[in-house]
Amino acid sequence: MRFLMTTVAPVRRDEALFIEMGKFVEELTASGVLLSTGGMELGGVTLVSKGGEITVTDGPFTEAKELAGGYAIVEVRSRDEAVELSRRFFGIIGDGDGRIQELYQP
Amino acid sequence: MATMDATGRAIDAVWKLESAKIIAALTRLVRDVGLAEELAQDALVAALEQWPAEGVPANPGAWLMTTAKRRAVDRIRRDKRLEERQEDLARSLDQADEVPDDVLRLMFVSCHPVLPPEQRAALTLRLLGGLTAAEVARAFLVTEPVMTQRLADAKRTLAEAGVGFELPAGPELAARLASVLEVVYLIFNEGYSATSGDDLMRADLALEALRLGRVLAELAPDHAEVHGLVALMEIQQSRAGARTGPGGEPVPLHEQNRGRWDPLLIRRGFAAMLRARALGQPPGPYVLQAAIAVSHAQAPSAAETDWVQIAALYGLLVRLLPSPVVRLNRALAVGMAHGADAGLALTDDLTTDPTLRNYHPLSVVRGDLLVRLGRHTEASAEFERAAALTRNSAEREFLLARAGEAPAPAAASLGPSADAFLARGDLSAATVRSYAQTLRRLCVDLGRGTLIGTLSARRVAQLFGVAWGDAAAKTWNRHVAAARSFASWTGVSFADGLERRDEVRVSARAIADLDAVLALDAAPRERAFWRVLAESGASATTALSLDVGELDGDGARGLRWSPATTALLRALTGSRTAGPVFLTDRRPGPGRMPGPADLCPHTGRARLSYERAEYLFKTATGGRYTLHLLSRAGR
Repeated sequence: MRFLMTTVAPVRRDEALFIEMGKFVEELTASGVLLSTGGMELGGVTLVSKGGEITVTDGPFTEAKELAGGYAIVEVRSRDEAVELSRRFFGIIGDGDGRIQELYQP
Repeated sequence: MATMDATGRAIDAVWKLESAKIIAALTRLVRDVGLAEELAQDALVAALEQWPAEGVPANPGAWLMTTAKRRAVDRIRRDKRLEERQEDLARSLDQADEVPDDVLRLMFVSCHPVLPPEQRAALTLRLLGGLTAAEVARAFLVTEPVMTQRLADAKRTLAEAGVGFELPAGPELAARLASVLEVVYLIFNEGYSATSGDDLMRADLALEALRLGRVLAELAPDHAEVHGLVALMEIQQSRAGARTGPGGEPVPLHEQNRGRWDPLLIRRGFAAMLRARALGQPPGPYVLQAAIAVSHAQAPSAAETDWVQIAALYGLLVRLLPSPVVRLNRALAVGMAHGADAGLALTDDLTTDPTLRNYHPLSVVRGDLLVRLGRHTEASAEFERAAALTRNSAEREFLLARAGEAPAPAAASLGPSADAFLARGDLSAATVRSYAQTLRRLCVDLGRGTLIGTLSARRVAQLFGVAWGDAAAKTWNRHVAAARSFASWTGVSFADGLERRDEVRVSARAIADLDAVLALDAAPRERAFWRVLAESGASATTALSLDVGELDGDGARGLRWSPATTALLRALTGSRTAGPVFLTDRRPGPGRMPGPADLCPHTGRARLSYERAEYLFKTATGGRYTLHLLSRAGR
């Protein structure tokens, strides 16, 4: 099962955290679980298509300024495994919000 | 209770993610995968007891590892058999964990060539994938007890063969790595061949294999074939969504909707291929197959496929892997690159290969090539044959439709003639049944639409060789009789090339050097067991079923043997007064406890199994003889 995991968390400029995150990503790659990962803009633009017309609006933006987004695409055997990976992720970065959504075959 | 369920599921997830590392680390401590797995299971049980009450620990993987290691240490200190490990123990525990290497070592153990392939695959999924016996059973379409037994047999064989935990070196490394790759690809294909009606567990095998391959690529990065296999699997899996149509029928590569190929996996496949190439090693079978897959994936459309390059790659591959299937794929590629007649010529040899007699893609490829050459009647016959051989009903309909595209054959075609021959009323029911079998095969292989007049004796003889060449003489003669009878009824001499065979039974191999075999340097149990068979003529199953209480002078249960054998048996049974005569070397684990009748009350060991006894005898005689032959020597 493939999942898209997205997170929003306060920005932390912490050398030790960087190293630990690097190790975590390396381990997940080596265990064949992590397919793709990276940072993600918060906000962006929102599109709505209605009656053949497309509306593009900026945002939505969150109130707090110092937040960073990230995403990961993982291949695991169950949603619980994805939850378990998130648990470890938050164990490293601390507070934040996450979301896990299953991805289906193209 | 919802929290219990959530914790239970969390434990299962942690276990699946961590168990390979834990079992690998424990195997390094106790040097026995069976015991390591047991200890890891104990840790899992402890988690199931404690976590629901105390909550999931902050680092659940580390918790399991620590608990499991503590249990391993306790076991080593208690167990006399592991005495020699005690001095290593302090050192082993002090050493920084070599987790990655341990996992690689565990893969080498679970894929050890001493195990039959299906045991290697099952054990690898169990130990490296963290799957339960029930899950592995579902994936391989067997019952859980069968799978539990298969796993137990594998672990026992490894223990008895004394398979070490050291990384193999030099030429042995290459051979052992090849075995690991073979197992991973076998698991992948098992999953890839799953159909929509199958248990999802089966299709998941492909992903499991892909994951194992990716792990292996990190653990053994210096071997191009590892990256080749990963590239091959990533790209094959990228087509998973496109390779079946809405009705479940397989969609051939050149007709697949390329928009449904998974670009993420294709990109990963390309990356793995680059890693393989960067090593600069001569390409092996997996790298070549991956290169072919890459070439297909690079073509923007089917029409733009670089068939010349693919045909050249198949030309290299067929030298390393001259299997009929590779040869057929090569013929297909050559047909696309250099013309249909060049391709068709390469398939001619394959039609006489008995291993392909039921392989319908051969007929599909030939049919396609014949259509392109404008030979529609022959093409139609090939499609009909393919339709009769495929097990996929959606594909069958599709092939029959293709068969119908060719111009209709004239009246005296094979199928209707065969029907008329069987329906003429002067044959007994048994004869009709027997003849029908032969004629069905003729119709399948030659096509029901083939004109009787075009059948050649040579072609029919060839077909017989492929279909029944390795059957018993009696079976062969029955089919020959049917074909001759049918031929004379039609008035066409297409059965003239068929010769009856001598039905005298060919005597099977005998053990010529029996004395030498019995004098082989083997364990006392084996020597006693072999002599019992060779002297009494008892079957291996009977001899293994003997209990100590039945031994009576120089024999038991009506079987007789020499006083020398009795002496060997006395030495073997010692002071035991009950239970099986022939016992296993180790006590059975808790998960594989045999019934009380198969357990020694003195030692707690189980009755020796037929499979194990057969394996030991075959190994000792270099694969020349079986226990069956040994028993026969005694009659």
